[in-house]
Amino acid sequence: MPAAMRSARRSVIPGFGLSLGFTILYLSLIVLIPLSAVFVRTLAEPSAIVETALAPRALAAYRLSFGASALAAAVNAVFGLLIAWVLVRYDFPLKRIVSAMVDLPFALPTAVAGIALTALYSSNGWIGQFLAPLGLKLAYTPAGVVIALVFIGLPFVVRSVEPVLADLGRDVEEASASLGASRVTTFRRVVLPAIAPALLTGFALAFARGIGEYGSVIFIAGNMPYESEIAPLLIITQLEQYDYAGATAIACVMLVASFAMLLAINLLQIATRKRMQG
Amino acid sequence: MGITVEGVSKSFGSFTALQPIELEARPGEFLALLGPSGSGKTTLLRIIAGLEQADTGRVLFDGEDVTGRPVTQRGVGFVFQHYALFKHMTVADNIAFGLTVRPRRLRPAKAEIERRVAELLELVQLKDLGRRYPAQLSGGQRQRVALARALAVEPRILLLDEPFGALDAKVRKELRRWLRELHDRMGLTSIFVTHDQEEALELADRVVVMDHGRIEQVAVPDAVYRAPASAFVFDFVGESNRLPVTVERGRARFGSALLDAGDAADGPGLLFFRPHDVEPALGGEGTLSATVTLARPRAGMTRVEAALDGLDAPLELDLPGEPPAVGERITVRPTRLQVFPDRR
Repeated sequence: MPAAMRSARRSVIPGFGLSLGFTILYLSLIVLIPLSAVFVRTLAEPSAIVETALAPRALAAYRLSFGASALAAAVNAVFGLLIAWVLVRYDFPLKRIVSAMVDLPFALPTAVAGIALTALYSSNGWIGQFLAPLGLKLAYTPAGVVIALVFIGLPFVVRSVEPVLADLGRDVEEASASLGASRVTTFRRVVLPAIAPALLTGFALAFARGIGEYGSVIFIAGNMPYESEIAPLLIITQLEQYDYAGATAIACVMLVASFAMLLAINLLQIATRKRMQG
Repeated sequence: MGITVEGVSKSFGSFTALQPIELEARPGEFLALLGPSGSGKTTLLRIIAGLEQADTGRVLFDGEDVTGRPVTQRGVGFVFQHYALFKHMTVADNIAFGLTVRPRRLRPAKAEIERRVAELLELVQLKDLGRRYPAQLSGGQRQRVALARALAVEPRILLLDEPFGALDAKVRKELRRWLRELHDRMGLTSIFVTHDQEEALELADRVVVMDHGRIEQVAVPDAVYRAPASAFVFDFVGESNRLPVTVERGRARFGSALLDAGDAADGPGLLFFRPHDVEPALGGEGTLSATVTLARPRAGMTRVEAALDGLDAPLELDLPGEPPAVGERITVRPTRLQVFPDRR
């Protein structure tokens, strides 16, 4: 059957040309064209880059946006892993409900989250009233930004790690124990490396979400320029002042920086994953 | 190192995995735990390893009570059915793992570890594959890596949970022979779990046949096959024909046929005989008549399937000479048979 073999060699999975073509068209329409419009507008007025996008106020906003996102993603990486671990390894009553709760930050309108968090952490809120006497002020400070971003980013880590953790057989941990490794050693040398790529994915997603997050943050951040003002808010501020060139210039910087970071995380992930798939 | 299991039982919720078990493995012995799934064999192995805690009873190594000792301290080598290799480590790192996780003062020097790994790689015939990752190996190779990893910590006891279960028949056979050699050479005491009777009979010094959390028989392979201790063992090990009979004063009645029941007690019984333990007969007492439904040549004889009135499954018989025609009526005399009381 030479004819059949030839067609089989062309490709086993049908529709490659069509699906790739569609993928590129779709990505272009949804992602590439809108984003390149940002660049085109910025390049039309390059002076805006220096005037607005690299001004001290903007630099402070970048620092807060990227710093708080990274910190929040790191916090989520630790506690998200813990939650994923509990969900995968233990059976307990109301497990489904706990699991559904993890997804709530996905579904909740971000403004609602922001208002709720602000109400909790402001100096007369449920939690804030106990922290205020200790001199801890969370709402309307950069710490508030981190809190909002931790809330928003949690499901990304949990849902990325969960399937990989479930897939990592219990027998691997038992093997480690039977070879004399303590629980800590087993976790550090067997479990953590195995789930590292998934954990990185979760971190990257939470981080990216944090950079772009607007709704929940502006309520709790206080939005003081140079102090608790995030970059997306600065963009809105520019737009409200009809400074479109300034807004797109800031957006441009955010885009380039985000893309560079996500690319770096992706490469790191490929490096860790490659070894396991041989 | 000898292993003694004293009155060990285990339940998971309402499911009784093990009834109180007594078992002894002599130093240097190679034991097989044989049984169908759910018979408790893996649970017993895991309790011996310390991966599972028994509800009652004790486990002793060379007379020393290790019941309360966690798996990390028991110093047994354990080989898992699906290898359980560390995917993110090279083969060499996998093998070295047990040595590198030791507390610093007990840990061998780096060069010493490398030497041990090289030695073990040679032992499991994977000399040039130390730098590969598990994903780059075949199933048989992976299982050998798992074995080398277990042996690296120099255990005196090797426990294997269905070690060949995930491998194809040819590799399985090779690996089996090789494992037996390794066991003898290293002076290990080994226990392996299997549901493959051929494997158990070929490899083990003694076979422990288990069913429903109980030990049905512990015996050398030949005895398990030739003198099964219970109906379950006769049924489970080797091919057999099973007839529900009624025993009356040393005679087992099946329909109109009367067979010798030995010293079986009166009442309902189960009569067993092997396909090859029959001879052609003319009829009369001690014979069975059946209609041939299938006849296939086998090495030196003919495997005949024959329908017996009152029995759902066909009789399986190995007969000498020319194959009978399908539909032909044949009469055979079981030359060796056993009758067990029917407990149901």
